[in-house]
Amino acid sequence: MTKEAVSIRDLNYSYPDGTVALEDINITIEEGERIAIIGQNGAGKTTLFLHLNGTIKSHNNNVVIFGKDIGQMKSKERIEKVGIVFQDPDDQLFMPTIFDDVAFGPINMGLDEDEVERRVRSALATVGLTGFEDRVPHHLSYGQKKRAALAAVLSMEPRILVLDEPTANLDPRNRISLIRLINNLNRNKGTTTIVAMHDVNAVSQLADRIYVLNKRMVADGSPTEIFMDFDLLRENNLDAPDVFRLFNVLSCFGFNCESLPLSIDDAVEVLTKTIEGNGKHIHLHIHEHTHEDLKDIMHRYDHHAEPSK
Amino acid sequence: MEYPEIDRYASLDSPVHRFDPRTKIATFTFLVFSFVFIQEITIALFALFFSILLLLVSKLPIGFVFKRVQVVLIFVLPLLIIMPLTVEGTELFSVFGISATHEGLRYASLIVIRAMAAVILILTMLGSMRFDTTIKALYMLKVPSSLVQMLMFTYRYIFVIIDEFLSMSRAMSAKGFNPGMNMYSLSIIGNMVGMLIVKSYERGERVYQAMISRGYTGNPKTRTAFAMRRTDYVLSAILVGFAILVHININTVMM
Ligand SMILES: Nc1ncnc2c1ncn2[C@@H]1O[C@H](COP(=O)(O)OP(=O)(O)OP(=O)(O)O)[C@@H](O)[C@H]1O
Ligand SMILES: [Mg+2]
Repeated sequence: MTKEAVSIRDLNYSYPDGTVALEDINITIEEGERIAIIGQNGAGKTTLFLHLNGTIKSHNNNVVIFGKDIGQMKSKERIEKVGIVFQDPDDQLFMPTIFDDVAFGPINMGLDEDEVERRVRSALATVGLTGFEDRVPHHLSYGQKKRAALAAVLSMEPRILVLDEPTANLDPRNRISLIRLINNLNRNKGTTTIVAMHDVNAVSQLADRIYVLNKRMVADGSPTEIFMDFDLLRENNLDAPDVFRLFNVLSCFGFNCESLPLSIDDAVEVLTKTIEGNGKHIHLHIHEHTHEDLKDIMHRYDHHAEPSK
Repeated sequence: MEYPEIDRYASLDSPVHRFDPRTKIATFTFLVFSFVFIQEITIALFALFFSILLLLVSKLPIGFVFKRVQVVLIFVLPLLIIMPLTVEGTELFSVFGISATHEGLRYASLIVIRAMAAVILILTMLGSMRFDTTIKALYMLKVPSSLVQMLMFTYRYIFVIIDEFLSMSRAMSAKGFNPGMNMYSLSIIGNMVGMLIVKSYERGERVYQAMISRGYTGNPKTRTAFAMRRTDYVLSAILVGFAILVHININTVMM
């Protein structure tokens, strides 16, 4: 039986200046799930994350991690459970050297020197920064800082890993290796992963379930369910993945498949399967409704258009 | 704008660089205190000479150190003019009825020389090890933790703030702003400084959140591994010896 990793009930939060950031949030995340939280700028993703490890204290005991109220946890227990990698790496690398920074969490957990050393080495190796131990943070490139900030959280080996915009500003190679790394942690160690991201093309590679946040939780479902819901996407200023849109277009030309792919990898699989099951070829054509259908599809994705009907 | 990289030459190799960081800080501080209490110009000159000698031994580029000494000189050099005019004593010369005194000039020179000696010492000390090493050494010397943390974060974020300032000023010049000496320019620059303060404040908040997220409870602990060697004992004996010597000398001179 799986355990509830995160449970939030009726969470409301306004910043001291009166900005309402979160309203009536209810979420339940099982251990080992891969979750993405999407939402436009200012939707409250970062604010929600600050609640997940008790940085912002909720007074109603409504953030529960592995069955225990986060507000009641000691700092050591809290950081063993939830590790958060924030958006801006400069905010997170606050120690004089990379080594000190990555060692910061483990030392606060009270681990002995050898274990701290081991964890720092392994975290740095995981993000590909071996040999950067003595470097100072302000001389690293943005992507390197980003990976160092991740290492600083990985070294605490948290059971829930929360990442705010992990792929933003990374080059393609680093983006792919980051996605792979998160998925490996999930698969091999059973780490529950929660990411906030704007890159819808990468979302389906990192999540089995998506929450759509816009102050309130407006939707929750599998990536396909979410991206099929054009009105939901438009109302919340979101996009569907390019591949998904392309296959929507292809369907206007008479291409039929069971489920629309969300990424290139999915697409290869879907195409292979469909073509093989179709006598080793597919047939695309233009029929009388094609132009109308195309217009309709494109219209649905257009953020500036009025909702259809 | 230049980054205040005091430890740019920390990777050079010299006896001063190899000196154990804790002992270096302790003995150099002792020397600085000893120097600022010197009462004789000749001995002060001797101390200044000793500081320069240490600087030469450390192989730090003279220009690098001198550029920073200049900043201090801007503050102390005016004393050479003010003090002779204000301190009472035997008259040296007088202009327009205002007289300059011998004592005034003597005190002012003493202050300038002692200041230079002390500043050169401190720069040699800071310049010859990485700043993170300095911080760890201070931490091990049981300097109050809040002080060490203040130093540490100042040093860490001064670079970020400079970057923020630079990107702001680049953004402004990209929008056609040319700073000049008029009301408009000044008010824009005032805004910019205000923004910088707000940004720094907000960053401070986010950094604190990140620290809490990693179990910060008030005392950052770091791992330190320093070991004293024989040369460290010899070098500290020489430095401490000199620090005491300059004062013994005064007594014998006065007797
Ligand atoms: N310190 C603060 N004080 C006041 N209001 C704030 C503060 N931080 C955020 N807000 C406001 O709270 C709302 C939610 O912000 P939050 O940073 O959580 O959004 P986000 O979903 O992370 O956005 P983004 O995608 O741009 O990172 C926004 O309207 C924002 O302006
Ligand atoms: Mg955010």
